Amino acid sequence: MFGEKAVELIRELHRMSDGQLPAFNEDGLRQVLQEMEALYDQNQTDVNEAKAEGRAELIPSIKLRHCCLLRNQRCLAAYLYDRLLRIRALRWEYGSVLPPNVRFHMCAEELQWFAQYKKSLASFMRSFGGGEGLDITQDMKPPKSLYIEVRCLKDHGEFEIDDGTVVLLKKNSQHFLPRWKCEQLIRQGVLEHVVS
Amino acid sequence: MFVTDIRKDFYEVVANQRVALLVAPDIDALCACKILQALFHCDQVQYTLVPVTRWQDLDTAFLEHKEQFRYFVLINCGANVDLLEMLQPDDDSIFFICDTHRPVDVVNVYNDTQIKLLIKQDDDLGVPSYDDIFRDDEDEEGDDSGNESDEGSEPSGKRRRFDEGAVERRIERQRAKREWEARRREILFDYEQYEYHGTSAAMMFFELAWVLTKDTKDMLWWAVIGLTDQWVHDKITHMKYVTDIATMQRHVSRHNHRNEDEENSLSIDCMRISFEYDLRLSLYQHWSLYESICNSCYTSCSFKLWTLNGQKKLQEFLADMGLPLKQVRQKFNSMDMSIKENLRDVIEESSNKYGMKDIRIQTFGVHFGFKNRFLASDMVHAAAALLESTEKEDSDSDNFIKALDSLSRSNLERLHSGIELAKKKLMAIQQTVASCICTNLILSQGPFLYCYLMEGTPDVKLFAKPMALTLLCKYLLKAFVHSTRNKRCKLLPLIMAAPKDVEKGTVIVVGIPPESETSDKKNFFGRAFEKAAESTSSRTLHDHFDTSIIELKTEDRSKFLDALITLLS
Repeated sequence: MFGEKAVELIRELHRMSDGQLPAFNEDGLRQVLQEMEALYDQNQTDVNEAKAEGRAELIPSIKLRHCCLLRNQRCLAAYLYDRLLRIRALRWEYGSVLPPNVRFHMCAEELQWFAQYKKSLASFMRSFGGGEGLDITQDMKPPKSLYIEVRCLKDHGEFEIDDGTVVLLKKNSQHFLPRWKCEQLIRQGVLEHVVS
Repeated sequence: MFVTDIRKDFYEVVANQRVALLVAPDIDALCACKILQALFHCDQVQYTLVPVTRWQDLDTAFLEHKEQFRYFVLINCGANVDLLEMLQPDDDSIFFICDTHRPVDVVNVYNDTQIKLLIKQDDDLGVPSYDDIFRDDEDEEGDDSGNESDEGSEPSGKRRRFDEGAVERRIERQRAKREWEARRREILFDYEQYEYHGTSAAMMFFELAWVLTKDTKDMLWWAVIGLTDQWVHDKITHMKYVTDIATMQRHVSRHNHRNEDEENSLSIDCMRISFEYDLRLSLYQHWSLYESICNSCYTSCSFKLWTLNGQKKLQEFLADMGLPLKQVRQKFNSMDMSIKENLRDVIEESSNKYGMKDIRIQTFGVHFGFKNRFLASDMVHAAAALLESTEKEDSDSDNFIKALDSLSRSNLERLHSGIELAKKKLMAIQQTVASCICTNLILSQGPFLYCYLMEGTPDVKLFAKPMALTLLCKYLLKAFVHSTRNKRCKLLPLIMAAPKDVEKGTVIVVGIPPESETSDKKNFFGRAFEKAAESTSSRTLHDHFDTSIIELKTEDRSKFLDALITLLS
């Protein structure tokens, strides 16, 4: 049935609804594009035939194929756009360096888009405070205190804080560190916030 | 050196610095650590907390952190050895030691720069005076120390003429030096012979919080738990416990909300700490009364519950109090209110008839929310069970973190799981005690009693941990004293060995002092084990902070014991 493969792409994204990025389904995309090409070609010949020979009974099938083409286009656009939204969320989640397994799932154009997005976000952040800049990806929720207590869940080696001091993150050690330095590591799962 | 003003010399020094906390694995240390952490959170002192279970861990932790930290706080470890020699720190590292282990090593006491002891000086320390142990030997340069044959070298050649006087003086000096050294050895031997424990570290830090007027009820509760840990694990004398309870009682009454009546009543969720003159039955409010009586050391030993006669006496005791068996075997919270109301007085009256004069003990309880009521000893048992849990293959530091978590009020599920583990541990202890007594596994070796837990014993894995084994040891000795008729054996100390690691073939050996009413809890096994190990060159590991607990290779067990027997006879 026409349009099935396009919906398959959408279903794939829908399955991973919590914002994860599945691998870029090149094959699926190509198949849909091929289907669209085939439909378009068939439509072209039919239109030419209808015009030349005045065969009005071809018009419903032309209309049907046209609808399918539009449907496929809409599905593809939705697929690509949703992926872009997810990639944008990744910048806020992980920071400007993406872990390699996530990068593997993006195609070359998406990577390019990500680089551009990073650049424009960075220049936006730099424009605050009269040239000083403000990192708005930190502190997504209003912080309650300057320092938080964190527990180390795995050995992570040495970790440097703003004033140059180094902390050794060993498994099961607890530290009382500035909140903004820990947020990254908490998201990565190396540290765990201890609520007393 | 001893810190006199804990606020000025300790807290204000570290307040703007980054500190490394090295904490030993016992409940008192955990509580002290919680109090200190709360203070640090208040003042935003950056710190790093590292659990250390033995001397090797302390060493490793120090090596790893010495580049980044200048100030180290050691809790319940480090006072009883020469710390500077062991760790070899740089000159600018400063150690603050709050340790209950006594005797404090003399080098730690007299070092003025790097070691600061957060210990009260009136704590019954008996430190020898400086001149008795250290001596500036300026007249050392005159004679070659130890190599007397070389004395006839160039100086004496020229001075041989007026040497008569000089030789006499030199001989006199050497004699005085030998005498001084002999006296020094004797003084040090007396000082370091017995190991015992001082005031709880948690109480020290609570006092610091009080001086800073930053003390809260949570900190007070932790201080109480720290003190109760010392009592539950029999580390301090009864007199000291009662004195310290009186100190804590003053703080508790200070914290309790005055004018609490119908109009100004406190919310039910607020934490209330109250003084309780409660029963000495472990975990009885979280268990059934019957189980608690059967598994608490005091009652089990007084009734001799491993004998048939003992069981009958217990039934009589319950009948005497008028408590129906059905009620007593139920969970405590589901017992009839009419029974629960006067339970303590009823039990006290009946137990006086059965020879248990001290069934009640002064302690504290906490109450917050509708369901949560705990006695200090409940918390100690729960945290200790979590600290040494063998349920999963967790490392020591994982267990440390779990136990530390269970002390917070917000981690009630952790606390309840700790209570369940503690129940299992107590039951295991009672069964092991019963089987040891019934099968006469305790042998008298002359100067001490000895018991070895075979590998196939049920729950023997539980007893590979030092605190659990020590608890078992104490209960076993009490039970033995109650069951034996041999008057001499009642005054002997007990050494217990249990398999620690079957693959490596090691056993863990624990020695405890003899059981008596007025025992001062002083343990001489630390030194005895060291000497015995040296003399037989057994492969031992003296790695625990308590010197009376060591690890030994199974094959060396018999010669080690023989050496001990000869040493102590």
